[in-house]
Amino acid sequence: MKIEERASTHVYRQKRMFTKEELEARERLCVHEQPPYCNAACPLKLDVKTMTAAIAGGDFDKALGLYEKITPFPHLLSAGCEAPCEGKCKLCSLGEGIAIRELERAAIAYGSRTRSRSLLRKKNTKIGIFGGDLFTLFLAGELAKKRYPVSLFCSQTDGDALAASCAPDFSEAVRTATARTLSNLDIEVFWNTDPSQAYRQHSCQFDLTAAAFSVARQLFPEIVPDEAVMVSREHHLITGPTQGVLGAAFGAKKAALSADRLAQHLDPSNTRGEEGSVETRLYTDLEGVLPSLRIAVSGPDSAKAEALRCIQCQCDVCIRGCAYLRHYQTFPRLLTREIYNNVSIIMGDHMMNKPINACSLCGQCSVLCPNGYDMGEICHIARQNMVTTGKMPLAPHEFALMDMLFSNEEAFLCRPQPGHQQCRYVFFPGCQAAAIAPATVRAAYLDLCRRLEGGIALILGCCGAICDWAGRYELYDQTAAFLDNALAQLGNPKIIAGCPTCKKELSSHPGLEIAGIWEILEQIGLPEKAHPPARPVALHDACGARGDPRTQRSIRTLAQKLGCHVVDTPYSGDQSPCCGYGGLTQYTNREVAKKMTEACLERSDLPYLSYCMACRDRFAREGRESMHLLELVYGTSADHCPDISAKRFNRLRLKQELLKEYWHEEVDTVQLGFTIRYAPGAEALMDERMILKSDVIAVLQHLRSTGEAIADADTGLCITRARLGNVTFWVKYQETEDGYLVFSAYSHRMNVVNRQ
Amino acid sequence: MADKNYYTIDPEGKLTCMKCRCALEKGKAKFLYLDNGFPVELPVCPQCGFVYVPEELALGKVLSVEKALEDK
Repeated sequence: MKIEERASTHVYRQKRMFTKEELEARERLCVHEQPPYCNAACPLKLDVKTMTAAIAGGDFDKALGLYEKITPFPHLLSAGCEAPCEGKCKLCSLGEGIAIRELERAAIAYGSRTRSRSLLRKKNTKIGIFGGDLFTLFLAGELAKKRYPVSLFCSQTDGDALAASCAPDFSEAVRTATARTLSNLDIEVFWNTDPSQAYRQHSCQFDLTAAAFSVARQLFPEIVPDEAVMVSREHHLITGPTQGVLGAAFGAKKAALSADRLAQHLDPSNTRGEEGSVETRLYTDLEGVLPSLRIAVSGPDSAKAEALRCIQCQCDVCIRGCAYLRHYQTFPRLLTREIYNNVSIIMGDHMMNKPINACSLCGQCSVLCPNGYDMGEICHIARQNMVTTGKMPLAPHEFALMDMLFSNEEAFLCRPQPGHQQCRYVFFPGCQAAAIAPATVRAAYLDLCRRLEGGIALILGCCGAICDWAGRYELYDQTAAFLDNALAQLGNPKIIAGCPTCKKELSSHPGLEIAGIWEILEQIGLPEKAHPPARPVALHDACGARGDPRTQRSIRTLAQKLGCHVVDTPYSGDQSPCCGYGGLTQYTNREVAKKMTEACLERSDLPYLSYCMACRDRFAREGRESMHLLELVYGTSADHCPDISAKRFNRLRLKQELLKEYWHEEVDTVQLGFTIRYAPGAEALMDERMILKSDVIAVLQHLRSTGEAIADADTGLCITRARLGNVTFWVKYQETEDGYLVFSAYSHRMNVVNRQ
Repeated sequence: MADKNYYTIDPEGKLTCMKCRCALEKGKAKFLYLDNGFPVELPVCPQCGFVYVPEELALGKVLSVEKALEDK
């Protein structure tokens, strides 16, 4: 198996991830941008949520500004609005919904109006409005806001009389405020006129005409306006029936938009966008929200208190659960579109490569999302797509892929149990178990050999998850074929997986029977050395066991049998987040991986019990007491945070020791002929820079064969280098009596050559 | 036409080639990555041609150019 670097940045291939329809179908699943229930219910499109937030923050001016956006007559509307938003408030299902109308009134009462001069130029289209009722009053206001020259002809004597006739049931204060607002608007009002007569006399002076529906009926008894746009095309008249204050305000909004279209000589039905109240698909998680009752609004403080009850509905269940989405401060729909666009770029910078490679592909979002949005699947498809088009850089994944090749080549072991030609079972502990806890793997294998009948073979290797996560599908197919061949040689025994991810990956191979070691132990019982932890432990479910209730159940049963006091954490079971290892996040983006681990550990202060060795290792690295279930079962301890070289050494030594002890096969070990020691801090530096001790050995062997090195007079150190595969490694050293003392190592992927 | 160099380091006689026993000099070299080339001047052994890439350069400028090219 070979891993190849992409040939060139000048290869301009492109393959679409999805069809446009498929992309849109996926995007539609994300409801993060859907309007909250209150906003959706308002036909006038009031941003109730923002207004409430403003009041909750004491900003009544902003709240009033938002309210004034939807109507020229805020007093009148707030007094008479039927408030369909209130019934849709999500809090109604728990207790009492927010008193939105009271908050609107509070905004008017305690907010200051900002008198900014309109920047719009006065329009040329003159509009005459005939008749004084709620509809024409709102329409005149809407058109004046749009800067049309408006003339209003009505029978009333003045603004107070007009307000009184429009709103007879409202308070004096509302009527006075409405009259005052009308007088402040740029509207030419002709009082004491008969609207019908005025229409006949003056309508020809206007480019557009509008009328109260009662006036329109007087003028044209047979008139049937199109209520969707509030226009009678036949009579070139803007009009229509309305009901109530909200109906009149909404009718006026529709009519004003029709005026815009007619002024442009367009059909009024043309490009109107979404009008009126809408259905929202928003999902709001009410978990943890307590029922509450309305607070009577009697002043700014009580208005603020009432607004603070608002839970600011939004769907962010995936974001709250996922450190990756929080890190990039995004949500699935937007991220999907950005990834889709990134993959579609033929030339230029691919700015989303890092986010594509930083997702742990764990699938937590698909469980948390009410619509099953799977960001991991999208990132996985994007990775495969980039591999196909030659756009996937090797650098982020190369170390992990080389590590997988190491597991399946140098450290690979496949043997039937001594004394058996074919075996009933094969133990497949997984690469990370052998790398982090070789003693536990050995104990588990011996225990299975001792207590199960029919022969237990052993395969030490990688299941292929690494290349699957990297999107290297060809390598994955090769790995799958390689493992299938190894299993066939053993007589296709039932696989006993030691790792939930291995179980998941190998389950996709057709014709293989597979179980987790935890299920076997549940059947055969615990061995003698099994012991519970001294303290209660928080159980962390592996992301590899998502959608595998049998494994999750079996782990809990086993922990109970062990005598563990297990405390379930938030986001347990199928909702469990990834520890930061999955999807190769640990290699591609350490910052995100660390945040993932921290998010896992935030759920409890207790020691963590896990059943994936990668989880166990990452939690220990963050300083948390961490244990794998099999460590408790077999009374063994994993290595404490082995570095990248130790993880390789552990795998190789386990293979060599088992071969020698149980299959009596001698393994040739290469003698270096010199010793390498490391100055304090050098090994940690190498681990940080992903440089293996085997890389340093290869560089020093190259030095011994070529003599190529330089001496730095400033530091007194010698420096040598070798090109190993796609990387040049440099080693700073001093010669010792029997070899070398290494002070530092660094690397770069660029190749450097002489030129003339 | 003037020789274009993206980066220049003069060893100032502080570096010695251990194989050839001579001082490294400022010499012409080229970084190659993903089918892209960048001419530079680095400490080079005048005899064997050993090109030295200092740690600060490898972990600084070289790394940032690598990352930029990888995302092309």
